[in-house]
Amino acid sequence: MNLIWVMPAEGRNPMRARPLFLMAGSAAAALLLVACGGSTPPEASAPDGPSTVRLLAHDSFVISEDLIAALKEETGISLEIVSGSDAGTMVAGAVLAAGNPTADVMFGIDNTLLSRALDADVFEPYSSPELSSLVPALQEDTGDGRVTPIDYGDVCVNIHDPALADAGVPRPATLDDLIDPTYRDMLVVQDPATSSPGLAFLLATIARYGDGWPEYWAALRENGVTVSGSWTDAYYGEFSGGGEGTRPLVVSYATSPPAEIVYAEDPKPDAPSTSVMTDGCYRQVEYAGVLAGAANPEGARIVVDWLLSEPVQADVPLSMFVFPARSGVELPPVFTDFAATVDEPLALPAEEVAANLSTWLAEWGTVMGR
Amino acid sequence: MAGRVGNRHGALIVPTAPVWLRWTWLLPAAFLGVFLVYPVIVLAVTVADSGAEGMLGRLTEPAIWQVTGLAVVQALASTAVALVVGLPLANVASRYRFRGRALTQAMVTVPFVLPTVVVALAIRSLFGSGAPQGFWIVVLAHAYVNLAVVARIVGAQWAQHSGDYESVARTLGATRWRAFVDVTLPSLRSAIATSAAVVFVFSFTSLGIVLLLGDPMTRTLESQILRQTSVLLDFPGAAVTAVIQLVIVTLVLLLGAMAARRAPTRRGKPVALRPLPAAFIGRFAVIATAVAGLAIVLAPVVALVVASLRGSRGWTVGWWSSLGSIDAGTTRLGSPGAAIGISLTYAVVTAIIAAIIGTLAAMAVLTTGRSRILVILAIVPLGVSAATLGLGTLLAFGRPPVDLRATGLLIPLAHSLVAIPLVVAVVAPGLRSTDARLAAVAATLGARPSRAFWTAYGPVLRIVVVASAALAGAVSLGEFGAAAFLGRATSPTVPVQIVRLLSRPGEQSLGVAAVLAVVLVVITLVVVLLVDRWGAPARRTTRQEAIA
Repeated sequence: MNLIWVMPAEGRNPMRARPLFLMAGSAAAALLLVACGGSTPPEASAPDGPSTVRLLAHDSFVISEDLIAALKEETGISLEIVSGSDAGTMVAGAVLAAGNPTADVMFGIDNTLLSRALDADVFEPYSSPELSSLVPALQEDTGDGRVTPIDYGDVCVNIHDPALADAGVPRPATLDDLIDPTYRDMLVVQDPATSSPGLAFLLATIARYGDGWPEYWAALRENGVTVSGSWTDAYYGEFSGGGEGTRPLVVSYATSPPAEIVYAEDPKPDAPSTSVMTDGCYRQVEYAGVLAGAANPEGARIVVDWLLSEPVQADVPLSMFVFPARSGVELPPVFTDFAATVDEPLALPAEEVAANLSTWLAEWGTVMGR
Repeated sequence: MAGRVGNRHGALIVPTAPVWLRWTWLLPAAFLGVFLVYPVIVLAVTVADSGAEGMLGRLTEPAIWQVTGLAVVQALASTAVALVVGLPLANVASRYRFRGRALTQAMVTVPFVLPTVVVALAIRSLFGSGAPQGFWIVVLAHAYVNLAVVARIVGAQWAQHSGDYESVARTLGATRWRAFVDVTLPSLRSAIATSAAVVFVFSFTSLGIVLLLGDPMTRTLESQILRQTSVLLDFPGAAVTAVIQLVIVTLVLLLGAMAARRAPTRRGKPVALRPLPAAFIGRFAVIATAVAGLAIVLAPVVALVVASLRGSRGWTVGWWSSLGSIDAGTTRLGSPGAAIGISLTYAVVTAIIAAIIGTLAAMAVLTTGRSRILVILAIVPLGVSAATLGLGTLLAFGRPPVDLRATGLLIPLAHSLVAIPLVVAVVAPGLRSTDARLAAVAATLGARPSRAFWTAYGPVLRIVVVASAALAGAVSLGEFGAAAFLGRATSPTVPVQIVRLLSRPGEQSLGVAAVLAVVLVVITLVVVLLVDRWGAPARRTTRQEAIA
């Protein structure tokens, strides 16, 4: 905003004026440079020979470079990962582009958004031969053969244990405990309208309390719950286990404690300072699917299989902090030690979520509005 | 911005206008048509296809008007706070000579280009547990980010005040306050109106800060659009919201433009910086204002620097040493160092595109007739919802037959759209206040029209083009939305990288994100200081100084 440079009388020396066409010339050169430097061969969709597959993923998608290189070596497919922003925006874009997609295969759509994408015919049916190797609960979870489960995780309340110990308070064990005055002003959650874990936590309470969920939230509000706009602000801004915050309870993931260890400064601590309340967790499953109208459907199917392959599934825990959908994949020690296993996760049928979501969000706003 | 769209000098501004000046509008018109209008149309058609029945009925739903009302109140409050803090700062930093003045001015620009996620966390960590909630922290954050808008726009005008009129008023018996209210304020009205309109628009359409710091009651239409598109997949509803937003933004910009036009302006070159007042109180007031302003701007930045140097076991340089290559955790996100390179490349390309297109569009103020509409069209991106633009661009240019994503051009193009209104805002007033008689004189002396044009406008163009290019580059450095939307996951920009780091737990994530944010601050500061030095050399020494 430096409008001070604008002052016209300041440039005194006309000889130093630079003709605009020079700048235009360099701009054209720069454009050309970018265009050439960054380009990849467009749509090399010849059935045999090397081809490009574009994988549309949300911006939390991470995978080791070696695996992408190995895919290229084994199948000739070069994988280009295009970013679709957050999961919701990615699905919105895919729904609008249904039939003429911006990529070949999509990864990262979860069970709260799935039914809307299915309704819009975003995906082309594909049943991966790898399906039979999945954990039993997920084998049937394929949206009528149109998507493939790749990983799952649980949204749970996380606990900063030292802070609770300092306060001389026992760990909360259930959702019911959270409305107990013992935990007044201790919990921070996210706005379900803007945050994915925030939405999952709301759905968990709906799954648990049914029609009584607004009363539960009214009680939470009575008990001093704070609502952040995003996970980042809740975890780093309000949660005492994440940074500068003061609240010892936060809605996060069952895998956040192992992440605390992995992303700690060296030498790593022996154990995380946070733990997980395993009651009231909402299960999120992430799927991949071949996009209808893909330029390279053949390659897209290979990529779906590849996502379920042993090496990729073994990579998933430490790169994205979720559990692999494939059964029998060996988990890294930090996972077996510190990630919570949730025995009875809560979940709602995708159709029910799709049908009621906007009503629930509006009602939640009414209950929490101040 | 919109402030000076009109022209009151009558028909022909450049008496001997070169012929090509009549055609400069072609390139910007084509650019905006292809990259702004076309994507929006594609999106509109797609939404209409997906079922647009009952869109008019949405207008009668109370919920949307409730959000609109709250957003207007929020934006008004943000504008008020930004003005209250920004005006004294503008006065001090653009009129008095003291050590650190240039730095103060450059520092004020930094919050404007910091990624919103960084601003949000820095402000939050600054207040700690005493942080104000919801509405007020959003207002504070908006005022913080937009301080630069007020300080720079108003400062540029205030710099032209010699204080003579105020002295006259005082001699005639007016109190200091009276002189300020009756003499100083009216002559600043055009700049205040322009900057207030811009701050309002930025606060009204804000997304990142509202998402991060807002509570359920503090929303903007932009966050409502995002919620409607990405949570509810309610595209017709989102379309209605986007139209309401565009209408309000356009109205406010026009209001600002009208207020600015009616205001008396003293045009001329900036007067020399004055020495600090001799009286202790005056001297103290100036220094205290500068220090306070610097402290306000710096406090969150210092919090960032501290965060980049601290781990759970005390001070550490660990986060900084992981800039190049990192251990298992972060390598998978791509190296932070590479992100800096990518961001700089995009910034340079954006600076070039936006400066050329924006300058050509601004030249329309020198012509007559319909092409001047372009100046208005060029500021429209300010009001178009980022989500709208992102989705539209994706649908128009992100898939066959026109697939620009792989070229790496989509992000600089989107950034250019964001930056062009600012370029126009910088260039147009500069051109308009240049004395067109210079060209006439040159022509009389035998210069051909082009030569005469460059004689008159070359000097100011050199300054404003460089200044606006730097501004566009700075905007590109800090932009997050389009980059997250249109980018390739393997080559993230710095803000995208920061957001990714901050979307996972662990102190390394926080530390490295803080390092990247500090790097961004440093790059921005260097750019702004360099341009300040290059663009405005004339004001450094003053005649009074020589005499004294």
